[in-house]
Amino acid sequence: MKMLLSISWRNIWRRPSRSGVLIGAVIAGLWAGILVSSWTNGLINQRINRVIQEELTHLQIHHPEFLADREPQMTIEPTHEIFSFLNNDERIKSYAARTLADGMIQSPQTASGVQITGVMADLEPATTNFHENLIEGSYLTEQIVYPIIIGVKLAEKLNIGVGNRVVLSFQDLQNDIVYNAFNVAGIFRANLPAYDEARVIVRAEDLYGLMAGTPVFHEIAIMLYDIDESDQVAADINRQFDTIQAETWMELSPELRFMTGASEYYMFYIMVVIMLALAFGILNTMLMAIFERTRELGMLISIGMSRSRVFIMIILESVILTMTGGAAGILISILTVSYLGRNGLDLSSIGGDTMAEWGYDAFVYPFITTGEYISVAVLVMITAILAAIYPAIKALRLNPGDVIRE
Amino acid sequence: MAILQTKNLSKVYNPDTVPVHALRDVSITIDKGEFTSIVGPSGSGKTTLLNMLGGLDKPTSGSVWVNGEEITMMKESKLIDFRLHNIGFVFQHYNLIPVFTAHENVSFIMLLQNRSKKEINDRANKLLDEVGLGDRKDARPVQMSGGQQQRVAVARALASEPKFILADEPTANLDTTSAMNLLDIMYKMNQEQNVTFVFSTHDQRVIDRARRVITMVDGAIYKDEYRDVEEKAAS
Repeated sequence: MKMLLSISWRNIWRRPSRSGVLIGAVIAGLWAGILVSSWTNGLINQRINRVIQEELTHLQIHHPEFLADREPQMTIEPTHEIFSFLNNDERIKSYAARTLADGMIQSPQTASGVQITGVMADLEPATTNFHENLIEGSYLTEQIVYPIIIGVKLAEKLNIGVGNRVVLSFQDLQNDIVYNAFNVAGIFRANLPAYDEARVIVRAEDLYGLMAGTPVFHEIAIMLYDIDESDQVAADINRQFDTIQAETWMELSPELRFMTGASEYYMFYIMVVIMLALAFGILNTMLMAIFERTRELGMLISIGMSRSRVFIMIILESVILTMTGGAAGILISILTVSYLGRNGLDLSSIGGDTMAEWGYDAFVYPFITTGEYISVAVLVMITAILAAIYPAIKALRLNPGDVIRE
Repeated sequence: MAILQTKNLSKVYNPDTVPVHALRDVSITIDKGEFTSIVGPSGSGKTTLLNMLGGLDKPTSGSVWVNGEEITMMKESKLIDFRLHNIGFVFQHYNLIPVFTAHENVSFIMLLQNRSKKEINDRANKLLDEVGLGDRKDARPVQMSGGQQQRVAVARALASEPKFILADEPTANLDTTSAMNLLDIMYKMNQEQNVTFVFSTHDQRVIDRARRVITMVDGAIYKDEYRDVEEKAAS
């Protein structure tokens, strides 16, 4: 094998310019593919973190049928026991109970359907950072009676601003319609259409006061120290209480579930396309090498080099050639991705606003996992082997007698 | 003692379209230590016969025996291994491995034989010394003249300690000095080490040195004569 490695290594440098072009193509292809993949990873990861940190959290507790029916009566019970359980679980970083209702918001000009979220003004900011989206006014301040925070697009639609009054109407626990006036304390921009157009935030005590007269909650949002423990904590809660259902962020958000799943395949698809293109380059280079060395290969078989060794030699040439480019490409990619991962990649000047409208950050911190780098290396190796099989078979079919005679 | 034998050897190219009879019923016996030239005009079947003797091509009919073993019926993989251990080749175009030095070219065949590193190194040095290239061991083919390359090819052919060496037009691409030098080396090895050489050639310089000359015409043996060439060799 050492002999074959030696001859293969020297063979690839017979034509330095040709090998150099292929190595350059491998480097450029890998660098581009890894960079795009790392940007996609960063984009998706930031999006997932943003949704989790702004509202979704790592897991949520509801009445088992609340998410399907959203009936006001589907409250979380027994509240005190559940709070006590959550307080004593060391895996839980923080939690916030919410009262929810679907209703209408009316301004003097118009009305619109909204989802009303009643939050505990002191606990919610410790669990989520939605309050950081406030662009005007203040966050559910106690100085204002019945304060409400609305999205920027809803404010535009209703033609209202901070200090204006709106009326919320929704069902109470007896299914009667309740009306109450709220004062606009702040306006937020979450860059999520569903939030900015159709979500309002009020104090939980105001909402459940109107809805039930006593504290009732429809949702408890929980943040953990370690997101990877989501499944286990949800399972433990569900085992402890049969009146509620705890679900992880993956179960609660089909969008995030899709993105998480898709991110695992993005890189694979990107790299497969790049490798497919490179495979033709490798095939071409190896075929040229075989055609140029027909007589030499015939000589090797003549003097006693087995066809299997000739086959291995050609495969090795392809693998060494490609992996030389692959190693350099991965190294350059590691340096590039690690630099961009530290300093970020600002795309605000090229479509950043559009990305923001879709809820994605224009400033992305790309990253690639070690496992993904290993996958790329394996993919490069497989490509090199597959692309060299045809030229190697061509070499195997040489008849040494014919070749020498030529 | 017969080291090489053919029995009624025939080869027809393109048997289904335009048949070309490259060999017609060739039967020869070559003993150990012979210095034989196969001569004849172009297309007479010299190279075809040499390829058959070396197991590089399969005959249409007949058989080839090397050291009492028939090679025409051997499987390809066994035949390659057989060639590795029994037959040395010297080609018209030298056919050295261009990325290897002279020493590595000679060593290569012994590496294929899985010999020890020390044995390979010692034997390669010895053979290169014998062909007068002791000072060019680290030179690559591109850095050597045609005569030097062909001498490396002879050393390579001898490296595997074969039963005999087949040389296809070994001097065809060499100038007179290089050709004579090469012939001297091969003749010396034949005389001193009893190495069997079989040449295909139409080079008179080679023919003059051969103790046996087999003349071929139209794929058949036209003449097979033994000669006394001691005086010519000495001169």
